[in-house]
Amino acid sequence: MIDHALDAAKFIDLTWMNVSFLFIVGFIGGLVSGFIGSGGAFVLTPAMMSLGVPAAVAVASNMCHKFPKAMVGAYKRYKYGQVDLKLGIVMAASATVGVQAGIKIQELILSKWGEAGSNLYVSLSFVAVLLFVGSYVFYDAFKTSNSEGGDPVPKLARRLQSINLPPMIHFKTADLTISLWFTIPVGFATGLLAATIAVGGFVGVPGMIYAVGASGLISSASELVIAFLMGFGGTVKWAMHGMVDIRLTLIILAGSLVGVQLGAIGTTYVKENMIKIVMGTIMLIVAVSRALAVPQYLNQLQLMDVDKFTLSILDMVSFATMCLALAVGAVIIIGAMLKGRRAEYAAQTSESYEHV
Amino acid sequence: MAAKTQIRKKKILMRTLMYGAITTALYAAVFSYASPITELFARGGFYAALPIATVFVFSFAHGAFSSSLWSALGIEAITKQAAKRKTAPSPRPIQKPRARLRMSA
Repeated sequence: MIDHALDAAKFIDLTWMNVSFLFIVGFIGGLVSGFIGSGGAFVLTPAMMSLGVPAAVAVASNMCHKFPKAMVGAYKRYKYGQVDLKLGIVMAASATVGVQAGIKIQELILSKWGEAGSNLYVSLSFVAVLLFVGSYVFYDAFKTSNSEGGDPVPKLARRLQSINLPPMIHFKTADLTISLWFTIPVGFATGLLAATIAVGGFVGVPGMIYAVGASGLISSASELVIAFLMGFGGTVKWAMHGMVDIRLTLIILAGSLVGVQLGAIGTTYVKENMIKIVMGTIMLIVAVSRALAVPQYLNQLQLMDVDKFTLSILDMVSFATMCLALAVGAVIIIGAMLKGRRAEYAAQTSESYEHV
Repeated sequence: MAAKTQIRKKKILMRTLMYGAITTALYAAVFSYASPITELFARGGFYAALPIATVFVFSFAHGAFSSSLWSALGIEAITKQAAKRKTAPSPRPIQKPRARLRMSA
């Protein structure tokens, strides 16, 4: 599978090891995306870069696989009655503005402090946002699992829903009415984060749960609509610059299309709270992974003195921790699915005994 | 009942095989000519339509195959609608008291 005709600086040679690695990461990423609405992208881009793919090609090829995967996941979950299309479209519209703002901030930092400064900003944003939001999501999941009253509408969302600030929008599937002005900041923050750390869903889904008031199931499903629309726009831009390596895209897509469907099916087996548990866990582990990458950028900016050996160890551990985040998420999802399936089977068996 | 289940299982298996064959053919077609296709798809400009159209076609065929595959393996969704929660009542604008016609003037 050696491609002699291709530009070696832009396109890597594919080996069976590379293909298997990308397929497996694609599958696990798809599984997590189908379940929590986002994820996978944060591992796939560095994974491709670790194989020698240039950063721009890695981002473009990843994005080109992301939008069809999100489309298939959204379609599947729409069939289960979990997608609020209107919510997804409204959020995606404001997220587009957020993406533009995010790009402008990145450009500003890049021109002032160079690539190391930009990387430091990305890593610190990762750590700050994921630690704060991830801890809250995890705490809330823990609190809800201990309470008997199910999954209530969060206080902030209830308060925002009760404010009459026209135009008011009714979201039928999410079964809520809220002012457009309160959905805009959530969408904007989603786009801003997507442009910074490439995973807008880590703010989008919690934002839809805690500020807009949609359930975890509907928020994660509607996030797939946002991912599709934003991913499509991003792919058009990258493909026009000729940065998509279609071979890499199709290999990841092969794995993720199988995974995303399993993730979507999984949401019908588990309690709603499980979405928060998986999301919170992944976010906290990814935050640790990015924190391990910070010394490298501080060293490049000469704000810290760390020897090369320690840096290479930290870099390796950081990447391994990121893969671990995805793997832990996948294990929790599959475990919860098996548990749900067993419970469903037991319920069916006892029902059939009653009819005898 | 058992006959119906058998027919359904057979249908799913046929669909899995059909979409599996289509998907395999698509991947074989692209990877047999991987170098010229990758180079053509990365020319930029209007050529951007090529990778986008390709992933749409693949996601249709491979998506249908994956869906049938999970069904054939007996992994299907439990049909239930998303649970609806009690939300805050829709806010209404403050209503002014209606003007009354005084008859006792």
